[in-house]
Amino acid sequence: MRISTVTMFEQSTASINRQQSDFLKVSQQIASGRRVVNPSDDPQAASRAVGVDQSRAMNQQFSDARVSARNSLSQTESILNSVSDAVTSAKALLIQASSDTLSDVDRESIASDLKGIYETMLGQANATDGNGRYLFGGYKDNAPPFVKSADGNVEYNGDNNSRQQRVDSSRLMPVAENGATIFQGVPSGAGYIAEASAENLGGVTFKGPQLTDVNAPGYGDSYRVVFSEDAALGSGISYQVQRFSDGAWQEDAADLVASGEYVGDGQQLSFAGLNITLTGSAEPDDEILIARAGSEQRGADLFRTMEAAISVLETPAQSTTEKAALRNTLNTSMRDLDNALDNVLSVRASAGARLNELEVIDAVGSNRKLNYEQTLSDLVDLNYIEAISEYSLRQVGLQAAQKAFVDIKGMSLFDYM
Amino acid sequence: MSMFSIGLSGLNVAQNALNTTSNNISNVYTPGYNREVAQLGQGAVGGGVKVNSIERQFNTYVSSQLNSAKTQSSALATYHNQITQIDNLLADREAGLSPLMQSFFSSLEDLASAPADPAARQGVVGSANTLSAQFRSFDGYLQDMQSNINSQIKDEVFQINNTTEQIAGLNREIALARARSGEAPNSLLNQRDHLVSELNERMDMRLNIQDGKSYNLSLPNGQPLVTGTSAFKLETVQSAADPQRTVVAYRDGEGGVTQLEESAIKGGALGGLMTFRSETLDKTQNQIGQLAVSLSLAFNEQHKQGVDLDGEQGGDFFAVYSPQAFSNTNNSGTAVVESAEFDSDTIDQLRATDYTVRFEDGAPTVTRNDNGATVDDIDWNAGTGALTFGGVALTISGTPNDGDRFEVQPVRRGASGIDVTINELDRIAAGKPANPEDDPADWVATGAGDNRNALALQDLQQKAIVGGSASVSGAYGVIVSDVGNRANIVQVNLDARQGLTDQLEAVQQSESGVNLDEEAANLIRYQRYYQANARVIDTAGAILDTILNLRN
Repeated sequence: MRISTVTMFEQSTASINRQQSDFLKVSQQIASGRRVVNPSDDPQAASRAVGVDQSRAMNQQFSDARVSARNSLSQTESILNSVSDAVTSAKALLIQASSDTLSDVDRESIASDLKGIYETMLGQANATDGNGRYLFGGYKDNAPPFVKSADGNVEYNGDNNSRQQRVDSSRLMPVAENGATIFQGVPSGAGYIAEASAENLGGVTFKGPQLTDVNAPGYGDSYRVVFSEDAALGSGISYQVQRFSDGAWQEDAADLVASGEYVGDGQQLSFAGLNITLTGSAEPDDEILIARAGSEQRGADLFRTMEAAISVLETPAQSTTEKAALRNTLNTSMRDLDNALDNVLSVRASAGARLNELEVIDAVGSNRKLNYEQTLSDLVDLNYIEAISEYSLRQVGLQAAQKAFVDIKGMSLFDYM
Repeated sequence: MSMFSIGLSGLNVAQNALNTTSNNISNVYTPGYNREVAQLGQGAVGGGVKVNSIERQFNTYVSSQLNSAKTQSSALATYHNQITQIDNLLADREAGLSPLMQSFFSSLEDLASAPADPAARQGVVGSANTLSAQFRSFDGYLQDMQSNINSQIKDEVFQINNTTEQIAGLNREIALARARSGEAPNSLLNQRDHLVSELNERMDMRLNIQDGKSYNLSLPNGQPLVTGTSAFKLETVQSAADPQRTVVAYRDGEGGVTQLEESAIKGGALGGLMTFRSETLDKTQNQIGQLAVSLSLAFNEQHKQGVDLDGEQGGDFFAVYSPQAFSNTNNSGTAVVESAEFDSDTIDQLRATDYTVRFEDGAPTVTRNDNGATVDDIDWNAGTGALTFGGVALTISGTPNDGDRFEVQPVRRGASGIDVTINELDRIAAGKPANPEDDPADWVATGAGDNRNALALQDLQQKAIVGGSASVSGAYGVIVSDVGNRANIVQVNLDARQGLTDQLEAVQQSESGVNLDEEAANLIRYQRYYQANARVIDTAGAILDTILNLRN
């Protein structure tokens, strides 16, 4: 075939151009470390890389969320640890205070110890995270959740929510506990608590209540023992056990759970699977409430319990009434503290369980991260060994094309004329 | 016939042949030059030699094949040139849209961790600003390409008109020359063929050679551009359907201007531009717009379900660019599109396409511009003029005549208008109301630490909010894959087509191209030939001398 001079030159330059662009492509890949530089290099891989990259970014988001979740949960756990210590020492002080040999002054000194614990607890209940947000306020985390009202009692101003965070694609985890759950909650299955009315005038004290039968009819309801005058009886005092149902105390004779003459002196009342032993003289209209902790009639509140105990220890116990009040209040408070301790421990256990869960999710998450990165790398990253051998190959090709051009250029019949 | 005249005829022919060779040599690199060969013939009476003709080596068949190959490879080269720009735009993984969407959602995660923290709130506003700026710059880039294409079309049409005029002029000159000498000068023929070849690189044309002399050119649909010595003009006009679009129109002999269908223009740089615009650029711009609009609408919707730090209902977080609607300039009725809004009930049907609404008997038919499919699910209220389809709600007032059209572009410029409307950090609605059943005006905040709405906003990244079928990153992946695939296909086609063109070029050149070695050989040959003829004359002289010297 006839070859025109123009064709010879054009083919040579076209070949050099082609080799050069292939060569540059490989150099670009090597410089960027990517096999897929433009989407057109491998459209499927490029678009899959967008998806995988998004999954990787989301995994990273969840991992960031876990960092702050862990931060908040471990703070919660460590504070609850101190709270449970505080409750335990309060309980020890109350046991000490129950001793009959103590004088008013001794009790007052115990009260001041107790007050210290109370203030510590208040401080812990109002703990903040690193950003000045209150840990235990629920969603109302911008003001102290526990504040002292005008009468010196602590009130809860937070709400009952607990903030959640998405720590994994399908796991919304509560990462904060609210004050109500910690300081006003009871553990599930908390038992009955007896509490003498503050207005009692007589010297009746109680022991118990003791649980005898959880299957007895009426177990779980709230009851109260009300004393009244009855001249027909030898002691002149009768008792009625009233049940709370349908939103009111059932006081009609027909609805009474139990009733009879009150003789005092270790008299045991049994109803609804409970035993309570009463001692001491009663005055008409004295009342003793027997209800499950955390029920509507007998809510739980750690601060209230502490306040009641402190207040009764600060009051001199001289009269029978005062002594009975002291004994009854300490009795109630100790049961309350037991419940509070159980509650704090169970909240702490649940925070601990979530911390453990975070560990597990973390392990899965970092595995996933590796997977995503591996996939991403397989999709778009360069195999250097292949690329470098390709690089050398292209280099040889380019040099050959250049050499061919020079040779063709040098061959002309005119040179021999 | 004497030896003198024979020698002389040889000298003349040798001179001619040497001229032809020198001409070939001097034009070796001239584009459009066809090699010439001196055709020698025997002298008619009494011997000697003569030049029958100086013939140009030109093969009409090969050259028309080459022209049609060139028109296609030129279209693909233009297409490739354009799509590479989008391909490069999407290549940058660090600065593309995808990482910015990721960091936006990641800032929402920070907000969920610390809902009242000003730093976290600032992070959300900051990353939202970056994201929307990137959307706008994407759209700006694509819009620049649109206006570049508009002006490139104008350039191409200008050049085409120029060329057709020149061809018509050459037709005349060639006819004149032929009339004068019976022969057409090779240089004019070369010029004309070269112009036709150049024209084919701009646009696909039909060449019809009349009586083997005059070149007539027409558009693929038969409308003439050059007939004999007169040329008709192409013009660029605003599209009747969309005033932002430059299209090609044909001016006929009576001065009437008809707009050419974009699909009627094939091949050449002009065809490549047209195909790229309708096939890739419009689509990509619509896809980016759809992504921006879907993200902002879904985000605003969720944001409105929350309350901000002051207990107010969350407002619009992003500004959204409303759909565009244009009346066709050929409409004869009084109907106009009063308003075009997004319709939240059918927003799942929002697609990355433009629509044409056409009225017939007062009732509209809606067709998609990307695939020509008729949209079945439309809601038309003739009384109020409310027309709803594909996530768009139009209000049309006035009376449309039969055949009146409206072009609706729901998301074409969607990415150009996305912006963050929240300017106070407190306005971010991270929480949910404490009383969600009440009227939103009476909503109160649950607390500063409430992060429920922030979590819901963060969850949007996993939801199918784009066209009811894809997540935002999924939709972005589709864009990458669409553009990548198309660029890849165009590249492959271009390589294949270019190979064919190169081959045809070599075939054409093997016939019409100049080979310098061959010409060098010819030079030597004709030089010797000249010397030999001169020797003949010399010999004749010597013989004559011999005779004359006999008497001495």
